[in-house]
Parts: sequence; C-alpha cells; structure tokens
Amino acid sequence: MSGSELGAGSWVAVAKKDFRDAVQSRALWALVAVFVVLSIGSTYAYVEAPELLGSPGGATFAGLIFFTIGLTGLFVPLAAIVVGYRSIAGERELGSIKLLLSMPTTRGSVFVGKVVGRTCVLAFGLVVGLLVGLGVGAAMLGELRIVPVAVFVAVTLLFSAVYTAIVVGISATTGSTSRATTLALGFFVVFELFWDAVPMVILYVVEGFATPTAIPDWVFPITQLSPSSAYFSSVVALLPDLAETAEATQAGASTGADAASGEPAPLYATPEIGLLVLALWLVAALVVGYYRFRSADL
Amino acid sequence: MAAIELEGVTKRFGDVLAVDSLDLTVDDGEIFGFLGPNGAGKSTTIDILLDFVRPTAGTATVLGHDAQTDGRAVRRRTGVLPDGYHVYDRLTGRHHLEFAREIKGVEADIEGVLERVRIADAADRKAGGYSKGMRQRLVLAMALIGDPDLLVLDEPSTGLDPNGAREMREILREENARGTTVFFSSHVMEQVEAVCDRVAIIDRGRLVAVDTIDGLRDASETGETLYVYVSTLDDEIVADVAALDGVGSASIEDGRLRVTADDVSKFAVLHAIDTDVTAVQDFSVVESSLEDLFVRYTNERQEVDA
Repeated sequence: MSGSELGAGSWVAVAKKDFRDAVQSRALWALVAVFVVLSIGSTYAYVEAPELLGSPGGATFAGLIFFTIGLTGLFVPLAAIVVGYRSIAGERELGSIKLLLSMPTTRGSVFVGKVVGRTCVLAFGLVVGLLVGLGVGAAMLGELRIVPVAVFVAVTLLFSAVYTAIVVGISATTGSTSRATTLALGFFVVFELFWDAVPMVILYVVEGFATPTAIPDWVFPITQLSPSSAYFSSVVALLPDLAETAEATQAGASTGADAASGEPAPLYATPEIGLLVLALWLVAALVVGYYRFRSADL
Repeated sequence: MAAIELEGVTKRFGDVLAVDSLDLTVDDGEIFGFLGPNGAGKSTTIDILLDFVRPTAGTATVLGHDAQTDGRAVRRRTGVLPDGYHVYDRLTGRHHLEFAREIKGVEADIEGVLERVRIADAADRKAGGYSKGMRQRLVLAMALIGDPDLLVLDEPSTGLDPNGAREMREILREENARGTTVFFSSHVMEQVEAVCDRVAIIDRGRLVAVDTIDGLRDASETGETLYVYVSTLDDEIVADVAALDGVGSASIEDGRLRVTADDVSKFAVLHAIDTDVTAVQDFSVVESSLEDLFVRYTNERQEVDA
C-alpha cells in the first residue's frame, strides 16, 4: 500500500459512503440500543452489588471502569463481527464491489476505507453506550474521574479499530459471506473463548505431556496474544493508579496484571505488551486482508 | 492512439478457458460493439479491462495505461457500466452520484445528469426500490460523471424497454460526438447494429470476426434478396434471369422468383427482368439480417467444435 496506491483521499470517499450506508441500517441502531442497555444494566448491577461483582470493598469509580472492561471486551469482538463480516465479502457476493472498483480508486483504498468506515460505525455505538453507562455510574456513585474515562474510552476505541480491522481483513479474504462468517466466528472462538487453554496445552506438550509444576515466563506473552487480553493489559498499562485501586478491591481476576503481581515481574510480563500486541494485530490484519484482496478475481 | 488494446489476452478459471488469446484494438473515438452469445467471454474480457479479473496471459492496455498495473489511471478517465453489479440499496440515487463525484474528484452537475438519464424524479428515493431499468440508468449516470474519455458498458440495454434502449443509444451517440470512445457488449446484434462503427464477434473465448457493420454485411454473402412475382414462372425463365448481368442466383421459392443481386442495384435487376424476361407484377426485398449472420458465426463454430 504505497502512497500512490492509496491515492489522495479516495479511501475517505469509501469510508464516508460506508458510514452513510450503515447509518441507514436498522442493524446499527439495534447495536447501539443493545449496547446502551447492556452498559446501563452492567453499571447498575455493579453499583448495586459490588460484593458479588469483584469489589468486596464497595463500589468505586475505578472498580466500575475495570468492571466495564469485561463488558466491552466481549461486546467489541461480537459487534465488530456483526459490523464487519460482510464489509468486503458481502460487496463481492452481491456485486456492488464492481460499482465501487469501477471508480478511480484502488483495492487498497477500498480496504482501508472499509476499515475506517466500519470502525466509525462501531466507535459511534461504543461512545454513546459507554458515556451513558459511565454517566449513570458517576451519578449513582457521586464520583467522576474525567481523565481515566477519556483514557479508557480511547483504548476501547483503539481496541474496536483493531477488531474491526481483523474482521474486515477476514472479510477481504473471501467472496462468500458464509465463509466470512465462519472465519470470523472461528477467530472469536479460538482467540477469545479458548485462548486461555491454548498456552496450557502448549505447556503440557512442552513438559513432556505432564502436568507442569510451575508456570514459566513465556506463558504470559502467549495469553496476551488474545486481542481482548491485550486490550485489558493496555488499560492497565495506561491507568496504573486506577488498576491498583481497582485491584485492591477486586477479588483476583485471571488477567495479565495479576499474573505479574506477587513475584518480581519479568521484563516482558508487563502490561505494556498489550499495546504492542494490539498494534501487531492491526498490522497483521491489514497486511493479510490487503494481500488476499489485491490478488483476488472479483 | 488506440483506446483499448488487447494482446494475447487469455483467462483460465480452473479448467474453463473463458478467454483464449484475444487480440483486439479499439480506436480512439469509435463506437465499438462487442458481440457474443451469453458465456462467450465478453464480461470476462471487460472485467480484465477494469482489473476486476487478472489475465492468465497477455496484456490489456486502456487509454495508454496497463489495465493491471495502472488501473486507477485507466478508471480515472473511464466511465463504466459493469455486468452483475448491485447498487447500494440503502442509499438514494443522488447519494450514488455524490459518491461518484467525490471519488472521481470532479465537479459535476448532478441534476443535469439525473435529468439526462431520466431518473430525476426518483433521485431522493433509495436505490433498493428502483426497477432494473432505473438501476441501469443510475449506473449509466455514475459512469457519465466526470465526462470520461472512454465508456465501457457491459450489456447496457439489460432491463431497459425498447424506448429506454433507444434513449441509451442516443446518450452513447451524444457522448461519442463529444469525442468519447464507446465500447459496449451485447448479445443482441440489433442493438449493436444501430450504433456501432465496428463490431467484434466473440464466441467461446475466441474472436471470430472484427469488421464494420457494412463489412460484415458484405461478408455475409447473402446481401439482399429480391422476391419477384411474375405472371408465368418456369425453369426456363429462372435460367434466363440467372443469366442476366449482375444476378447472383435465381430460383423458385413459394411460387415466387428468388433473386440475389451482385454488385448492381436491385432496381437494375428488376428492370432487366421486366424488360428482358417477363413482366414483373410485384416484388419484395429482404435484407439479410446481421442477426442471421451472428447466429451463423457463432453456431458454425459450435458445429465445428462438436
């Protein structure tokens, strides 16, 4: 994707068209509505029953933010799949891609425009839902911390951009929406649902098919390959004070932040690795999606 | 300069040879018809021109740019009505044209274009509710935005009623008069015949003929056929007529005299029959249709192949 390939701003036109198209879609509004309801519901549940939901010391705003990560960490991947799986495969299946590529644009611009357009769609829903949810929480707790909210929302938007790029990248590898659905759901199942088990299986094999006695250092980076784990670590990395406060009240979660606590943290077992992993996913999704799409017969 | 130049273009989809070493040159400023039955390889060829599909072998040069390596430069000056396209159901006709204008980066009179293709009154309705003919007009309008130097149209008359097809041809003529090269495909000879300067006939991925309409007609050997009603008709009269200057062949068919003319006008032949052989009571002329020719070109090959 060189500069001349991308061309001056034709991806902007594609992104705008895509967003305009999505805004007309009931699915987008349903997505926003679902997220607003979930966000309010989870905030309410946390504030009303913090003891049950990981804050035995009582509800705090920091605890609320960390509790909300659990919601966004699951919602963003699923919403990204809904928003993005048809983005390119669907246009290829229907034939509207021919209309698009009859114009003076390139496949690279179309791909980038799609990633940006769909990210904006998802980001729009997220910002609305998070501001409403955290706003309700702030009102109920009588506490609001602007900077952490801004950082949290920003990292969540980065996470949604990465996930959208992954799903659009998957969509770009095929001309069939059913195949795109299978691949995207497969990605979700492997990297979000079962990923905790993967390092353990590797460890089991490495230990000569025996139950390991200790968890070696290299396990942590592998757990971080899951985008949502990387997202969690990124929030921890950027809001360390908040993480400490939240952790103080939080009964242990199976996250990287906790894995590193207790023992002196090895150099790589730092939450900053989350940001690196998110960046790597973004690049990998763009590269794989683009190269597959570029060489395809439409 | 050639507007389109194909050299040895071949496209294979798995076992299927869709286009077989096609060589074709379309000159600047002409209206060129690309004719062939369904499945002949027309759309694949057009898809190669637009870089939707990559050729297995050969090169396609459009407006002096390589279609594969410099596709954007090609499409910047080319208006396209692709085959098997789908409009954006949730966007209005006007949205489509605004998108085309933005992505082409040109100034364009959207109202004027809407009027020209006659969908101005539906401009603010979602394109998902358009009829096939209206979608065809909408996509033609998108193609016309930015005054392209080349129009590439795949089966432009699809979904249009006869009136719509005529309006489409008028627009093509107007664009051509402005200097635009027009390249369009069709499986109906009649549509091609009405506007084209030159025609290529493709069948099973191979070029079977490239010529002007007149050239094709001449090559079609039958030319024009006269059916003449005379008072008496027998073999002797047929022989006398056949011996006349400029008569290609003469025979009896359905109680009429069937005469083909070579190199002379049909009136000369009629006059000669009337004065030299026998009195002419009535006559009719049947022009051999290019459709017949097209069918023959494409069927003969099938028979040979079979």
